[in-house]
Amino acid sequence: MLDTALAGLVNGSSYALLALGLSLIFGVANVINFAHASVFAVGAMSGWWFSVDLGWPLWTVLLGVMAVTGLLGLVINLVAVTPLAKAPPIAALLSTFAVSVVVDNGAQLVFGPETRRFPALLATDNLGLGGLRFGTLDVTILAVAIGLMLVLGWFLRATRYGRAIRAVAQDRDAAAQMGIPLARVQNLAFVVASVLGGVAGVLGGMYLNNISPTVGSTVGMSAFAAATLGGLGSLPGAVAGGLLLGVVEAFGVSWWGGNARTLITFAVLLLVLWVRPSGLFGKRSPLAAEPMTGTFFGAARTVRLRPWQVAVAAVAAYVVPAVALDDYTVQIGVQVVVYAILALSLTLVSGQAGQISLGQAAPLAIGAYTSALLTTGTGLDFWLSLPISGLVAAVLSVALVSPSWRLRGHYVSIATLATGLLVAAAAVNFDWLTNGPSGVSAIPPPTLFGAPVSAPLAVYFLDLTILLVVLLLVVRLRRSTLGRIWSAIREDEVAARSSGIAAAEYKSLAFGIGGFVAGIGGALFAQQYGYIDPSVFGISVSLLALTIVVLGGLNSPLGAVVGAIVLVGLPEALRMLEETRMLTYGLLLLAVVLFRPQGLMGKVAR
Amino acid sequence: MISRRGLFTAAAGVGATAVLASCGRLSGEQTAAAPAPAAGPIFFGVSAPLSGASAEYGKIWRTGFDLALDEINGAGGVKGRKIELLWEDTQSDQKQSVPVAQKFAGDSRILAELGDFASPASMAASPVYEKAHLVQFGFTNSHPDFTKGGEYMWSTSTTQQDHAPELADLAKSLGTKQAVYYINTDWGKTTWKLYEEHAKKSGYEIVHSEAVQADGSDFRPSLINGRDKGADVLVFIAYYQAAALLTQQAKNVGLAQAKIALPSSAYSPQYVALGGEATEGAQLIVRFHPGDPRPQVREFVDKYQKRYGKQPDDFGAGAYDALKILAWAVEHSDGTREGVRKALLEGKEIPSLLYGPFSFREDRRVTTPKSTRLVVKGGAFTLVGA
Repeated sequence: MLDTALAGLVNGSSYALLALGLSLIFGVANVINFAHASVFAVGAMSGWWFSVDLGWPLWTVLLGVMAVTGLLGLVINLVAVTPLAKAPPIAALLSTFAVSVVVDNGAQLVFGPETRRFPALLATDNLGLGGLRFGTLDVTILAVAIGLMLVLGWFLRATRYGRAIRAVAQDRDAAAQMGIPLARVQNLAFVVASVLGGVAGVLGGMYLNNISPTVGSTVGMSAFAAATLGGLGSLPGAVAGGLLLGVVEAFGVSWWGGNARTLITFAVLLLVLWVRPSGLFGKRSPLAAEPMTGTFFGAARTVRLRPWQVAVAAVAAYVVPAVALDDYTVQIGVQVVVYAILALSLTLVSGQAGQISLGQAAPLAIGAYTSALLTTGTGLDFWLSLPISGLVAAVLSVALVSPSWRLRGHYVSIATLATGLLVAAAAVNFDWLTNGPSGVSAIPPPTLFGAPVSAPLAVYFLDLTILLVVLLLVVRLRRSTLGRIWSAIREDEVAARSSGIAAAEYKSLAFGIGGFVAGIGGALFAQQYGYIDPSVFGISVSLLALTIVVLGGLNSPLGAVVGAIVLVGLPEALRMLEETRMLTYGLLLLAVVLFRPQGLMGKVAR
Repeated sequence: MISRRGLFTAAAGVGATAVLASCGRLSGEQTAAAPAPAAGPIFFGVSAPLSGASAEYGKIWRTGFDLALDEINGAGGVKGRKIELLWEDTQSDQKQSVPVAQKFAGDSRILAELGDFASPASMAASPVYEKAHLVQFGFTNSHPDFTKGGEYMWSTSTTQQDHAPELADLAKSLGTKQAVYYINTDWGKTTWKLYEEHAKKSGYEIVHSEAVQADGSDFRPSLINGRDKGADVLVFIAYYQAAALLTQQAKNVGLAQAKIALPSSAYSPQYVALGGEATEGAQLIVRFHPGDPRPQVREFVDKYQKRYGKQPDDFGAGAYDALKILAWAVEHSDGTREGVRKALLEGKEIPSLLYGPFSFREDRRVTTPKSTRLVVKGGAFTLVGA
């Protein structure tokens, strides 16, 4: 018991270190910084390089790493966050995600992908308590986390710059009017947070023993959970959240086994948010939260195509692949179509109703598993499984998201993020239902007119037809009364509620219909590959779907299709780059978010 | 102005024509691929993780492949033609391995395919290769079902069916109370099932078993469970990274006295490099080890060591061997895709680094010789008893 708790505390203090930086950046820039975990990884990798290849002692290693990551933080802010200050918060979130892709893959190129041993610059097993051996290192990590929390707390309270940071965090516009140099304060916050991230990287590297350029992603999601748990923007909250999460995880793992860890992490996060919507230590901002999608739509209009243009495009979508494209390209086309369907579900949820979902892989997974299990387990026909998949995904989507209606601002999107991860973790853990990590194989192809639909072109025709139906549905919904009600909620929820609109119910409806569409997409997805497992529905799928709609223009159904063509096609078009493919992809993604935050199919009204 | 109805009719007409025109492609039967060109280089497709979490294995493959390519092409190639590889990055993700398979299938220059790294990524792509009559040589795919995907799925990997019982026997020889930790991937779970089956049949005592996260970093709570149940031998069904972490952390929770047994996928110099002193005394079963006295192995290890400055591991040797076997198959074929499969099917005494001369079984796998036991001694792998 005691040593399980201790092991949890030790592990939790490394979450706390990362969560501190996340919280600081959130407080100042109001941005969820997806790149923070990558900064951690760069800290660990450069620390390894300084100490192993250059043979530096611990204190110079620390200084070197602080310089590297501080600079990296500054660059991240200048390149990816500051230029988007006026864009909706969702744009900055996606740009930090793009940065994380760039940094992770860049580090993999610079340092090589190998896992390596981080030298133990501090002892790791010279102390003991109740059967558990730990070391100076573990005590140091805990002390550094608490020490940094105190020092930062003092800095924020007692110094001029600290007060400026707090003022900006409380009210950006008022702070600017009082003459606080916003740009400089935000730079400072990023540098400080990233320096912390670097220190966390060195200590975390020693603690983890083994590191690789992708080490950030492992710890990053837990740190996210810790920061949110404690209350975004609260420093004591970050530390308390980290430690609490560490201990809860340790006991959870001890009782339910190691593979339940992710499930525990995000279940705990959701439960805490449902009870305390602003985290343990978070304060509810007296100011009405700006919607994640921003008040952007007023300025952006979607490009509208004439009916004959749509008709020509639709016919071309059938004819061109049949006549001019080889099976490989058609196979990519199938993926484009499925992602377009997934993105259309977000056009409803995020574009129409203004609710950002970072977990749309959840209904996709639910739909895919429902269809796969029904067709393989009970021999049900694919065509019957299709609507059932949509319905199950819709019901579960609503059930999972509805407790979040008490949440506001970023907490809603983090709750959807947690939901997405939770569903994937459930697929791993609920062996009896989903066959766990082995996945479901030998999913039969659908049959049409007595013939199996399995050749790439046949699958493409089938999926494309369903896409067109979904597209029609979404367009019709947008123009209906329901669509207008969703728009009203998106533009001003308070005003909408004052006019007697039951906002929570209508938001649930948006998630329900969106879940249905995504579930249909999931069923197609499962049939297309004939094989699914939980790893297919990772967070990258959710983020890709969201990027597609943002790129296409959040409010434009056609944009979702165009975005899918670009973002799914791009990694394939970059194939000749081999090792630098994902790096280039990340850079292009970043460029797109930076230069076209209103989307390809949106135009700014003059 | 064209009326809507007219527009629709026209569209339907064009669509129907296109559908009719593409009827052959809809039925699922691949029209015979264009014949492979008879001159110029011979190509093999490689479906591999070059980025993402498994990228380091793709990199190790490259070392083995490059060495084999230099040997083959240095000696004049196959049938007087050079061999070249077409690499495609899949991140070992089935969302990407399927389109890559489609790409290879449509490229008539390609005579055979190597990979993918993880069995799920390979198995998702198998139907495409099967339809294209293209040999899919999944030399790391230990999933028992991989070669059941069709007549074109071949593998030189040991299956978990052979491997898991040997691992259980190894653990039995080290202690009486086993705690087994397996990574929660398809591979880990399958190996564990087969392990458990064998252990039950043989009456071995397993005091604790637990699935752990393959990319996890903190295994202490799980290890404490095993410690509290009095385990004296720990079995880590994992790749070398997780195995190294588990080994280290076992020491931290007071399991320093427990013996450690590992499968061959943990076999890599990296295991010792990452795990440090804690790995001392750990035992593994392997199919390949660089200390093997066979002259062929000695020559390979020397070349590898010279070129890369380190000893080859199981993945590097496996990649080298796989490419050599495919080159042999092309040499003994009529230079077509079908010919490659026939050569593998009919080949007797196929030369191999890992197994010596062998032939494939009916299930397109290799009858693996009894594996070797290694122990970590003074920071290096040595034969047990040596």
